[in-house]
Amino acid sequence: MSQLILFNLFNGLIVGAFYALMALGLSLILNLSGVINFAHGGFLALGAYIAYTLMPYVGFWGALLIAPFLTAFLGIIIERLLIRRLYGRDPLYSLLLTFGLAYIFEDVSRYIWGAQSVPFIVPGFLTKPLSNSLFFLTGYRVFMVVLVAIAVAALFYILNRTRLGMRIRAGTMDLETVSTLGVNVRVLRNLNFGLGIFLAGLAGVLAAGLLGLQPTIGTSLIMPSFVAIIVGGLGSLPGTLLGGLLIGVASGLTTVFFPSATEAVMYVMMGLVLLLRPRGLLGEEGRL
Amino acid sequence: MNVLEVEGLHTYYGKSHILHGVSLVVPEGKIVALLGRNGAGKSTTLRSIIGLTPPREGAIRVFGHATTHWAPDQIAGLGLGYVPEGRRIFPNLTVEENLLVPMARPGPWTVRRVFESFPRLAERKSNKGSQLSGGEQEMLAIARTLMLNPKILALDEPSQGLAPLIVREVFNIVTEARKEGVSVLLVEQNVRATVAIADHAYVLDNGSIVYSGPAAEFAKDEQRVRALAGASAEKWEMED
Repeated sequence: MSQLILFNLFNGLIVGAFYALMALGLSLILNLSGVINFAHGGFLALGAYIAYTLMPYVGFWGALLIAPFLTAFLGIIIERLLIRRLYGRDPLYSLLLTFGLAYIFEDVSRYIWGAQSVPFIVPGFLTKPLSNSLFFLTGYRVFMVVLVAIAVAALFYILNRTRLGMRIRAGTMDLETVSTLGVNVRVLRNLNFGLGIFLAGLAGVLAAGLLGLQPTIGTSLIMPSFVAIIVGGLGSLPGTLLGGLLIGVASGLTTVFFPSATEAVMYVMMGLVLLLRPRGLLGEEGRL
Repeated sequence: MNVLEVEGLHTYYGKSHILHGVSLVVPEGKIVALLGRNGAGKSTTLRSIIGLTPPREGAIRVFGHATTHWAPDQIAGLGLGYVPEGRRIFPNLTVEENLLVPMARPGPWTVRRVFESFPRLAERKSNKGSQLSGGEQEMLAIARTLMLNPKILALDEPSQGLAPLIVREVFNIVTEARKEGVSVLLVEQNVRATVAIADHAYVLDNGSIVYSGPAAEFAKDEQRVRALAGASAEKWEMED
C-alpha cells in the first residue's frame, strides 16, 4: 500500500511539474499581454514533433536542446504576425484567435506526422528503474523532474535578475509607464511570448518521452494548466508553480483512494479556492 | 533653440474634446511651467507630447523630429523623460529594480549616482515600491526617469499630495537638473512654488492656452496668481 501511495505521489509530482511548466508559460503571456493562449497545448505538441523530426539527425539530447528554441521562434513569429494585432481589444478576440490556432496546429500535426501515435525513443539508460523496490522510479522520470526544476529556476532567474525580467514584471503592473521609460513594449511582449512558448516546447519534448506522441498530446494538459493558474492566484508566478504541483499531487493521490475522481479533484480544488480565497493561494487581492 | 515645440494640438478622449489648439514651446535649458485648474487639460497635454494620447490634429516636434504619431518609447528614446501623475511606481519591484527598468541611454545618471543623490532611496533600495511613502515614491519616480538620461524632463504635478518640505526638495531636484542642461516642462497646481523656479509660464484653461509670459511677470500679477491658485494657495498657507 505504501508503495502504491508513493508511486502515485511521484506520478502526481511529475504530472504536476508538467502542469506547472505549461501554466507558467500561460501566466507569463496572460499577465503581460492579457491574452488567454488556448494554442499553448498546440505549441506543446509542435515542440514534441519538432524534437521527433530532429532526433534522427541530432539525437535525443540535441533535439531536447534545439526543439524548445525552435518552438519559441515559431511563437515569436505567430505573435508578430497575428496575436499582436489584437492587443488592447476585447480579450474575446485573442481567445477566439488562439482557439482557432490550437485546432490548426492539431490538424497540421495530423497532416504532417499522422494521427497515430509515433514512438518517441529516449536513451536506454534513462528508462531503467533506479531500484527494484521503487520500480516506478525510472531515470527518465527523475530526469524530467530535475529538468523542470532547472527550467523553473532559470525562468525565475531571468524574471528577478535580468533587465528583461524586471521589465516584464513591471509591464504586468503598468505597461504604459514602461513604454514612457523608453522600453519598446512591442518587442517586450514579443520576447515574453517567446519565453512562454519555450516552456511549452520543453514540456512537449519531455511529455512525449513519457506518454508517446500524438497530435492531441497538448489537449489534455491545457485545462489543468488553467486550473493551476486559478488555484495559485492570477498574476502570481510562484502561485502558478505551487498550483500546478498541488493539483498534480492531489490527482495522483486521488488515484489511490478514489480512481474515478482523478480528473475531478482538481476542479473541486478550484471550486474550494474560489469559494474560500477567491484571489487564489498566492494571488494579490483585486487583481485580474 | 526650442527643444520641444507643440502646435495647435486637438486631443480627444473618445468623443470628448479635451485640448482645443494648444501651442507651447520649451527653449533649451529653461524651466517652462504649465499651470491651470484641475481638468484644464494639463495632463492631457503631457500625455499627447509623450505619445500616450496622440492628438487628432496638430504637430509636436522634439529636437526637430516630428514625433506627433510616434510611440512613447520612441519619443522617450530621443531623450524626453516623463514623470507621470501619481508617480506610478512599479509596486511589485524593489527600489533598485524600478531604477533598472528604463532604457539605458548614455549619460551621467547611473544607479550609483541616484543612490548618492537620493540617500533616502539608497536606504530603501531593497524595499518594494509599494512600501514607500508618498515623498519617497515621488523621488523614485523622478530618479527612475533620470535613469533614462533625458535632455527634456516633463513632470506631471510632482508636488501633488506632498508636505511642503518635500515639495521644496522635489523642486530643488528640478532646478539641479536644469543646471546640468536639462530643459523642463513642469505641470503644476502649486502655482506659487512653481513660478518661483520657472522661466516661462503658460496657463491652460478649458483646453486652451489663456496666458503666456515670463514667469517673473506672472508672479508679480497677484490677481492672476490668486485667481489661479485659488483653494490650493490657501491650503499651502495653512500647512506652512
